[in-house]
Amino acid sequence: MKISDKLLRVQEVYKTYGEEQSETVALKGITFDVFPGEFLGIMGPSGSGKTTLLNCIATIIKPTSGRVFLNGKNISAFDSKDLAEYRGSRIGYLFQDFALLDNLTGQENILLPLSIHGMDFAKARAKLDELADFLEIADILNKFPSQMSGGQKQRVAAARCLISEPDIVLADEPTGALDTRSARILMNKLEGINRSSGRTILMVSHDPNATSFCSRILFIQDGVIFHELRRKHDESREKFYERILQLMAQLGGGSANVL
Amino acid sequence: MFSKLIYRNAKRSRKENLIYFTTLVTAIASFYIILSLGRQDVIIFLKEFESDSIDKLLALMPIVYLFALFLLFFLILFANQYQLNRRSKEFGLYLMLGMRKERLVLQLLAEGLITSILALIGGILVGGFLAEIISLTVSKLVGQGIIGHQISLSVGAIFFTIIGFLFIQFIALVILGRRLFNQEVHQLLNDQMDKKQDMGHVKSNIFHILAGSILLGAAYWIVLYRFMDFGGLLLFVALGLGSLGTILFMRGFGKLLGLLASLSERKSTKGLHTFTLRQFQENVANRSTSVAVTSILITLSIILITNGASTIMSFESVSTRSSSIYDFTVNGDNQKVEQFLTSEKMAPYVEDLNLLEIGRMKYQDEGAEDDLPVSLVDWSKLREQLIMALPSNYKEQVLSGEMQGYTISSENPEALNLFGALEIDATKPYLIPESSYNGLLETIGEKPLNLHSDEIALYFNPDFMPKDNLESMPVLDNILEKAAKEGQSLMSINDQAIYIHPSIPMRGLVADRSVEITSAFIVPDHMFEQLLNTENYRSYWNFRIPQKIQEQQGLMKPMMEARDLLKSSGFKFESYLQNFGRKLFYVVAGSYTILYMGFLFLIIACTVLALQFLTQMRQTRQRYLTLSMLGAKRNQMKKSMHRQVLLTFLLPISLACVSGAVGIKAMISFVIIHIEDKALLYPIAFTVACIVIVILVIYGVAVARSAEHEIDKLRWKPNID
Repeated sequence: MKISDKLLRVQEVYKTYGEEQSETVALKGITFDVFPGEFLGIMGPSGSGKTTLLNCIATIIKPTSGRVFLNGKNISAFDSKDLAEYRGSRIGYLFQDFALLDNLTGQENILLPLSIHGMDFAKARAKLDELADFLEIADILNKFPSQMSGGQKQRVAAARCLISEPDIVLADEPTGALDTRSARILMNKLEGINRSSGRTILMVSHDPNATSFCSRILFIQDGVIFHELRRKHDESREKFYERILQLMAQLGGGSANVL
Repeated sequence: MFSKLIYRNAKRSRKENLIYFTTLVTAIASFYIILSLGRQDVIIFLKEFESDSIDKLLALMPIVYLFALFLLFFLILFANQYQLNRRSKEFGLYLMLGMRKERLVLQLLAEGLITSILALIGGILVGGFLAEIISLTVSKLVGQGIIGHQISLSVGAIFFTIIGFLFIQFIALVILGRRLFNQEVHQLLNDQMDKKQDMGHVKSNIFHILAGSILLGAAYWIVLYRFMDFGGLLLFVALGLGSLGTILFMRGFGKLLGLLASLSERKSTKGLHTFTLRQFQENVANRSTSVAVTSILITLSIILITNGASTIMSFESVSTRSSSIYDFTVNGDNQKVEQFLTSEKMAPYVEDLNLLEIGRMKYQDEGAEDDLPVSLVDWSKLREQLIMALPSNYKEQVLSGEMQGYTISSENPEALNLFGALEIDATKPYLIPESSYNGLLETIGEKPLNLHSDEIALYFNPDFMPKDNLESMPVLDNILEKAAKEGQSLMSINDQAIYIHPSIPMRGLVADRSVEITSAFIVPDHMFEQLLNTENYRSYWNFRIPQKIQEQQGLMKPMMEARDLLKSSGFKFESYLQNFGRKLFYVVAGSYTILYMGFLFLIIACTVLALQFLTQMRQTRQRYLTLSMLGAKRNQMKKSMHRQVLLTFLLPISLACVSGAVGIKAMISFVIIHIEDKALLYPIAFTVACIVIVILVIYGVAVARSAEHEIDKLRWKPNID
C-alpha cells in the first residue's frame, strides 16, 4: 500500500515537555496509520499521552521529532498560515466541552468555519439542512447554546465540525461531558456518518462504551502503543464492547500493571 | 512573604492593566486641577480687583470637587471591578490554598493602597503639569501679557486630592471586597460570562426603540421650542425624558442587533461578520443602561465643551480695548484731585489729564410741584425722522403703539437703537460740556468740536450701544445732512431752535463704570451752565498712563504703581484693570468649570466604554481560542475586534452627536451661546470637535491595543495563528 492510500500517517512521533532534569517524555516514538473511512479509537488511562498524540495530529502542538502526514502532506512541518488553512476545513474538531460560542445561535455556530474560510454559504445550505436532519437538530438551529441540552450542544458541535467536509474528524473525549443516553445518541450519529459518507474519524476516549463504536482501537500507555483491537467484520457492537472490557480486565483493571 | 505577594501583585496589576492605572491617574489629576484653581495666575490676578466674586467662585469649588468626587467614585469602582474580575481565578486559587477570606480582602486593600500611592504620585505630577499649562495658556491667551506667571503648585490641593482619592478608592475596594467575600470559590474559579442570551421578543424590542425615539423626540422638541417655559423647569423635564429615551432606545437597539445578525444571511459567511455583530450585540444588550449612560455623558460633554469654548470666544470681543481709553478715573473735590494728580510723585504716571463734567438737564419750572415736570427738550422732528428711518416692521410697531419697551443691542438696526436711547433719555438728557469732550477727542487725536452757540452733538455710550464703527453713525448722519440742506432744525431746547452736529467719534467717558449712561447731549459750555440741574452735577478726572512708560515697562507695572499711590491718597478712583478684570472674571468663571465638567464627562464616558469592552473581551477569550481552533487567523480576529471597538464607541457617540447638536442649536437660538464673530465660529467649532474626537480616538486606540495584546496572549494552545 502506498503512503497516499493512507489518509493519516503518524511516523515515529516523539514529544517531550520540559528540559534536562525536569524533562518528561509524553510520546515515545508512536507510529500508526489511519485509512480512509476508518473509525479509529485511541484508548488509554490519564497521563498515557493520548491527548498529546491527538494534539500533535491536530497541529495544536508540534512533535519534538517525527512526522505526521495528512493526505501525503507533512502537516507537522507546516507554517502557521498553512495550519490555519487546515484547521476547520481539512481537519474538524470535536471537543469534550463542545467549545460552542455561546453568543451565537446553533446555525451561526455551525456556519462559523465556512465564514472563517470564506466559503460560499449558498452551496452549504443543502449540506446544513442534511446535517441538521441527520443529527436531529433542525428545530434548535436558532437557539443559543444556553438554551440547549448537553447532547444537543455536542450534536451542533458535530455539525460544525462536519459542515466543511473535512478529511478527518478529530474527537477528544466527545462523550466526556454527556450523560449515558446523550452519549449513545451521539456515538450512533458519529458511527452513522462514518458508515454512510465514509468520513474518517479519530477519537480519543477512555470510555469503552464510546470506543465500542469504532472499527479499530489503539491502546496507548506511557507514550507507546502497546495493543490493537479490530472489530471483526460481522461483530456486533455489544460483542466488541465485551472484548474491550475483557482486554482491559486482562491488562489489569485499566492497565496499571501491564508494563 | 505576605508583603512580598502584595507588592508583586500590585506591580503586576499596574503593568498588566495600563487602562486601570491610567484611570486612577486621570482621576487624581482632575481632582488636583479643580482644587488648585485658587493658585492659577488668572485667579490670583483677579483676586486683586474682584475679590468678592472670586471668593464666591472659589467657594463654589468644593461643590464642584464633591461632584467630581462623586462621579469619579463610579469610575474608580468600575475600574476596580474590572481589575478584580480579571483576577477572580487567582483569588479562587488563594482561597483553595486555604487563605482566609478576611485575609484576602485585607490583601486587596493593601495592594490597592500601594497602587493608589503610586497613582497619586503620577496623578499629582500630571495634574500639576496640566494645571501649570492651563495657568500659562489662560494668562497668555486672555491676559494679553498683563498677568504675570507664578508656579501654581498648591499644597492644600495636593492634600485634598490625596484625601479625596484615597477615600473613594477605599470605599470602592470595600464594596468590591464585600462582594468578593460573599462569592463562592466555584464562582471565582469559573469567571466565564454565562449569562443567558436574553434576546427579548422582537415586538418588545421595537416597542423599546419606538418609546425611546418618542421620548427623545419630545425632549428635543422641548429643548428647541419650549426651552425657557416655566422658568427653565421644562429643561429638567427634557433632560429626564432624553435620558429615559436614550436608555430605552439602547435597550431596544442592542437586542434588535441580533435580528440584524440573523437577517443578513448573505453576509453571514463573510469572515467573522456574524461573530462581530453578536459580540457587539452582547456588549450592548447586556449593558444597555451603561451604554446609554455613556451616551448621555458624551451628549452633556459636547454641550458643555461648546458652551465653555463659546464663552472664551466671547472674551475676544470684550477684551479688545476699542472704546475704553482712560486708565484711571479719580473722583473727588476738583481742585484737590487736580493738585494731587499734578503733584511731583504722581505726575510721571499722568498723561492726557482731563476733567469730565456731567449732569442732567433741568425741567421747565423746577419749582412747580403739582404738575408733572415738563421737559425743555422738544425733539419731535428728529423722532419723526428716526421713525421714518426704521425698518418697516419696526416702524409699524412704533406707529401703532405696540412697541412698549426698547432694548438696545448690537443685533438691532442703528435707527432702532438711536430711537430707543432717545425715547428713554431725551426728555431729561445728560449734559456734557463741549470742553470736557474736546479733552477726550484730543486724547484720541481727533479735532475739537467747535460747536456753534445753537448747536449740540449727540453722545451714545459705546459700552451700552455696541457697534462696529465707533467713529460715525451713518443713519443719524443721513438724517442730519438732509435737515442741514433744508436748513431745518430737528430739535429745540427751551424754545430755541437747536442744530445737531454730525456724529462724532465716541469713546467710554471714564476708565470703568463710574458713569453709566446710554446717551448724552454735548453742549457748548455756556449752555451747560445754563441748563444744568446742579443737584446731580458730577465731575471726574480721567488720565492715562503715559505712552513712554508703557513702552518701557508694559501697562501692568506702572498701573499697579499708580494704583498704590492713589490708594494712599484716599480719593475714590477706578481703573481700567477693574473693567478688564470683571470681564475676565465672567469668562474664567463661566468657562473653567464648564470646560472642566465637559472633559470630565467625556473621560468618564470613554473609560467606561473602554473598560466595558475589555471586560467582555477578557470574559470571552475562550471564544477567541475556539475561533483559532476553527482556523481563524490572528489577523481575522484582530480585524473583528477592531470593528467591535469601533461599533462600541460609535453607537453611543452617534446618538450623543444628534442630542448634542439639538442642545447646541437650542442654546444658540436662546442666546445662551452667543457668537459675535461668525468668522471665528467654524475654526473654534472645528477645534473643539477635533479635541473631542482626538480624546475618543486615543481611547479607542488604547482599547484596541490592549485587546490586541489579549489576542496575542492566547497561548492556551501553542502554534495558533
